[in-house]
Amino acid sequence: MKVELFYSPGCPECAAAQARLRSAAEEAVRDLEWREVSAVEQIDRAVDLGVLTLPSIVIDGELVFTSMPSLKDLRVALRERAGRK
Amino acid sequence: MLTIGKLASLTDVSNDTLRYYEHEGLLEPAAKSPAGYRLYDAASTRRIRFIKQAQQCGFTLSEIRDLLVLRSRDATCCGDVRKRAIEKKLQIESKIRAMKAMSRALDQLIADCANEKQPVKECTIIAALERANGARRAQRP
Repeated sequence: MKVELFYSPGCPECAAAQARLRSAAEEAVRDLEWREVSAVEQIDRAVDLGVLTLPSIVIDGELVFTSMPSLKDLRVALRERAGRK
Repeated sequence: MLTIGKLASLTDVSNDTLRYYEHEGLLEPAAKSPAGYRLYDAASTRRIRFIKQAQQCGFTLSEIRDLLVLRSRDATCCGDVRKRAIEKKLQIESKIRAMKAMSRALDQLIADCANEKQPVKECTIIAALERANGARRAQRP
């Protein structure tokens, strides 16, 4: 499962939260491909995916979170999608 | 201290706009004269220039209010403001794409209308817009 976290570079709080989210995602699903994507460097891809706010999380090409989710919400979203596969 | 008229002429906005900014929580008079007229200080001039510049960058008044709050907070770092600027750019880029798609759709309609002397009842542009409207109605449950 591919998870892309679009973020605004230079946000120290976001960096700490991103690390926690990544750990939660790794616990939730086995086949995880985690990418942290700077919205500045990849603005075209962000717009392609409908990202308008930061941080946003895209799971397997689908925009799922448009703000920082709780660890629990991220785990639930990942497990739901893993169950569908 | 500046009266509303003086501030309006210094910043090139109307008195009504200044009152509207006040109504929207973007600007407050520094004081009132004994007769009850609004009086503004030099910081108000800077604030209005900030608002106008932010509007030119596409920020709404509500977003500008947030930026002004950020500007006044000691705990704010540049990253907080940068995040909002990046989000605004994402929104603008997204709108540009939508507008380009609309422009392409119009190109197609214009190209399809080869005979501009046809009566309006036979206008292919109007027919295409009517078809699109009908298709949308048919999709509704």
